[in-house]
Amino acid sequence: MSIEKTEELILNMGPQHPSMHGLFRMVVHLAGETVTNIEPKLGYLHRGMEKLAESRTYSQFIPYTDRLDYLASPHNNWAYVQTVEKLMGVEIPERAEYLRVIFGELARIASHQVCIASTALDMAGWSAWSYAFRDRERICDMYEMTAGSRLTVNIMRIGGMSAEPPEEFWPALQSFLDDTPEMLEEYYGIFFGNEIAMGRLKNVGILTKEMAENLSITGPVLRASGVDYDVRKAEPYSIYERFDFDVPVRTGCDSYDRTIIRMDEIVESIKIIKQAVRDIPGGPIMAKVPKVIKPPVGEVYHRVENPKGELGFYIVSDGTTKPTRLRIRPATFINLQMLPIVAKGWKIQDVVAIFATLDAVLGEVDK
Amino acid sequence: MFGKGLLQGLGITFKRMVGPNITEFYPEEKPNLPTRVRSSMGLERDKCISCNMCAMACPNSVIKLTSEKNEANKKVLKTYHMDVGRCLFCGMCAEVCPTKALKVTQEFENAIYEPEDMQWDMIKRAERKGKVE
Repeated sequence: MSIEKTEELILNMGPQHPSMHGLFRMVVHLAGETVTNIEPKLGYLHRGMEKLAESRTYSQFIPYTDRLDYLASPHNNWAYVQTVEKLMGVEIPERAEYLRVIFGELARIASHQVCIASTALDMAGWSAWSYAFRDRERICDMYEMTAGSRLTVNIMRIGGMSAEPPEEFWPALQSFLDDTPEMLEEYYGIFFGNEIAMGRLKNVGILTKEMAENLSITGPVLRASGVDYDVRKAEPYSIYERFDFDVPVRTGCDSYDRTIIRMDEIVESIKIIKQAVRDIPGGPIMAKVPKVIKPPVGEVYHRVENPKGELGFYIVSDGTTKPTRLRIRPATFINLQMLPIVAKGWKIQDVVAIFATLDAVLGEVDK
Repeated sequence: MFGKGLLQGLGITFKRMVGPNITEFYPEEKPNLPTRVRSSMGLERDKCISCNMCAMACPNSVIKLTSEKNEANKKVLKTYHMDVGRCLFCGMCAEVCPTKALKVTQEFENAIYEPEDMQWDMIKRAERKGKVE
């Protein structure tokens, strides 16, 4: 019997669904078990971030950026404060730049660990989930001892960092770096090397190089489709040009490569952190910026490589203490548009795999 | 060989099963939080100079304070109110406080039953709990 002859079934997945990673709803049109169409329904977590920014001063908006991609909040802080610094023309101290790199890369590791864990969980791998989350806790502890919070870190300020890491931070970081090879071996052994995981993920949800480029996909999802593009290399911001690291690229174009590329990225992040810890100079962590921040009239766009892809902020300033307009270019919102295209023709259980490997964070999608 | 990966995964699980515990038994064992953790706020009334910096730094207008002038024509804090239902716990208020009268504290068991319990009278709270260290 051909697909057309079965009656179409419309299935609502989400917004409260274990594999929807937040509040995402998709209306799945099914012919038997085969997906014929997906309609993504967004906006359940919409808080109006861009409008909120217009009624907050430049400094007051920093805690809000934590709540965009809440799995990598230092990165959102970083993108935002760098945008304002670019507008004001502020040079920040060397030590603050190194600390930003350290925390940014720690956030990348933590975010990728969540992706690995949640992909495993969506594939019904409960034990694999707990391994990655166990290790992420150590990064959260490091955030906590430095900035005072585990998730919404609020660690960066316009002109530098909010706080100097305490003494116990450096041994904790060193022991984390020392333990990472073993951690990655465990993730591989418990999940990626598992035949069931391979069966569920390999050759599932093919996103070809052309499709990825045409859909302006960024981040690990793009690199798993064989495109060597990373903002850290393409348009180095902060002090990334000083570090020796590679951009992992895989050519599988499938769900398996989209997940395992995050393991490769963790290895590279470890490399960067080790170099940063080796080279970090002493000195102040805050530049001399006025207490009341009034950037000059003008507009600016700045982008960084968030763990999920390219995160950009566009700010229009009219010279007052509050931005006239703030626009966020979220990575996963744009990555998400591949879902209906790629998932078409796959079975219902593959949709879960495809969505999991996208690593969408709804805080960022809905803003 | 098919199944080798499965066995390897089981091996890791068994290895960790006999290893040390990493979980905390929370209600019985209280976690020892770092001193920078911002899970609650505490005010030292005597140190406060009613400069209103905390209220101005707050992104969500959580803080409302009033002051009066004493005989020496100096501002003295009269009321200090926080609407924690709106609070992001970002700690910007404590960061800008010039005299460190407002501090982040580590009491994290802030669950409440009634919405009106989210209105914190900081002076009363400080009196109830004694001074903040």
